[in-house]
Amino acid sequence: MLALRQWWNGFMLVLAWLCAGLAAATLAIIVFYVIQRGAPALNGHFFLSVPTPVGVPGGGVANALIGSVEIIVMASLIAIPIGVMAGIYLALLGKGRLADAVRFFSDVLTGVPSIAIGIFAYTVVVVPQKHFSANSAGVALAVIMLPIIVRTTEEAVRLVNPAIREGALALGIESWKAILLVTVPCARAGIVTGALLGVARVAGESAPLLFTAFGNPVWSTNPNSPIAALPLIVFQYANSPYAEWQQIAWGGALALIVLVFVLNITARVLFPAKGYR
Amino acid sequence: MHRNRFVLGLTGASLAFVLTSAIAGAAGQLTGAGSSFDFPFFSRAFYEYGKQHADVQVNYQSIGSGGGIQQFTAKTVDFGASDVPLNPNEMKAAQASNGDVVQVPVTLGGVVVAYNVQGVAGHLKLDQQTLAGIFLGKITNWNDPAIAKLNAGTTLPSQAIVVAHRADGSGTTYIFTDYLSKISPQWKSSVGTAKTVNWPAQSAIGAKGNEGVAGLIRQTPGAIGYVELAYASQNDISYASLKNSAGQFVLPTVDSVRMAASQKPNVSPDDYSIVDMGGAGSYPIAGYSWVMLWKNQSDANKGKQLVGLFRWLVTDGQTYATNVRYVGLPKNVQGEADRALASIKT
Repeated sequence: MLALRQWWNGFMLVLAWLCAGLAAATLAIIVFYVIQRGAPALNGHFFLSVPTPVGVPGGGVANALIGSVEIIVMASLIAIPIGVMAGIYLALLGKGRLADAVRFFSDVLTGVPSIAIGIFAYTVVVVPQKHFSANSAGVALAVIMLPIIVRTTEEAVRLVNPAIREGALALGIESWKAILLVTVPCARAGIVTGALLGVARVAGESAPLLFTAFGNPVWSTNPNSPIAALPLIVFQYANSPYAEWQQIAWGGALALIVLVFVLNITARVLFPAKGYR
Repeated sequence: MHRNRFVLGLTGASLAFVLTSAIAGAAGQLTGAGSSFDFPFFSRAFYEYGKQHADVQVNYQSIGSGGGIQQFTAKTVDFGASDVPLNPNEMKAAQASNGDVVQVPVTLGGVVVAYNVQGVAGHLKLDQQTLAGIFLGKITNWNDPAIAKLNAGTTLPSQAIVVAHRADGSGTTYIFTDYLSKISPQWKSSVGTAKTVNWPAQSAIGAKGNEGVAGLIRQTPGAIGYVELAYASQNDISYASLKNSAGQFVLPTVDSVRMAASQKPNVSPDDYSIVDMGGAGSYPIAGYSWVMLWKNQSDANKGKQLVGLFRWLVTDGQTYATNVRYVGLPKNVQGEADRALASIKT
């Protein structure tokens, strides 16, 4: 009997290893393939020029790189303050039905397909404004980031030992000061991690940008104009019948993967969870 | 406290960002959307125009004719482009949204029947009945006697036919189904002519945009579909020689499309179909593409820029059409386009 159990144990262990290896290998294969196809596209033009029409050499994605950064910054400016404050509320102040409702809605929001959020932003921002714009894309991405930031902030703040805040309160400090100056700084690493993960989550989104940012072949940083974005360029160029554009699409995919990797690794390495795991 | 400095820095950065973006946004941009048929031509022509006129930069997005009409009507873009003029319902919706619409023919192109059949090089010959039979789903294998009879000397494999079509609302679909309706009474009664139709063939699969259908054909053995000539030639996919109503097999070329257009010297938004034109050497599936503009431009400066841009596009800009395998507008149609543009009030 014992031998059978040991055999069974060993078998399951190997199976678990295999599955773990497969999960990691999937990522490795994708990364390897994208690097192999995308690396040749990365040259000076890729980073410094705007797109050119088919048959005109020297096109790049400079405007899409800037556009992506602009949209992400806008989304962060909207989502981080709201998300962090909502998270603090949930962790320290919120009790009862309202807090439960906020938690429930942000969990549901995490699962809403990003294309639905794109249509939402199209309806509430693009249609009334009568033009596609960078700021509508910022709104769409902010909505996607928000629940991630709310929940990670809540977790991070919750993990701070309440005794620290109670100590501050015992010394006669006002409650809001105790939260803002004592508890929140202790949770800073966790909050920053949450924000970076939120950014990494939306950086590669293309669906919500189709009807908001819209894409733009020429230079524009105007928040009220249509703007280029890396995921849109990848989508448009990968679909195109032209080999030179498909090449740029692979380069764009590689740039996106690198961006998301850097954000994730920064989040995990630079802020290795003092009191946050 | 360094935390305060962090907050201060963030506020400063966002302020600087808002300011710089407001300054950078001063140059005028025109936005348009629609037909993917027009896209290779427009992207080239607008790029060249932007080089000559630094103050007019055009952003054209290829989202399909149906999408272009929708976004134009919603006033989210400055102009729309479609391979078929607005139908009465669309016109009513547009007029309700922002008054009268001016429609301008901007280019002329051919729709090719492209396929991916293993071992078949060169151009297969298809006549009206066979083409309709394939798209009706009655001819389901490449070795069907109807195809073999027209292509004596070509060895056709036993391979199932897969019909590739546009999934989005498409002017290319309109032109193609317009042709099928002209040559096949059964198609006309059971499917009809529209920007989207119910494809009767069981094997039918849809893809988005001319680029999507071209990609689908290239990747699917046994596929047959329809794409704009420029997409087929850029993609190195094979395409068929079609029998026109004069009884000749004609390949889609710039010349054969021009021949078809010359059979109908006057076109207007109400009378635009140039499919199944008779006449020696004319290719049977061709069509004009149209740009939609508001007759009353609310922003005078933008209105002037739009009129200037399209006056150039329908005349001098036509040279870029031939570069990307589109057909230049015939002279009389250029005149018609110019008259339409002159009616725009800025």
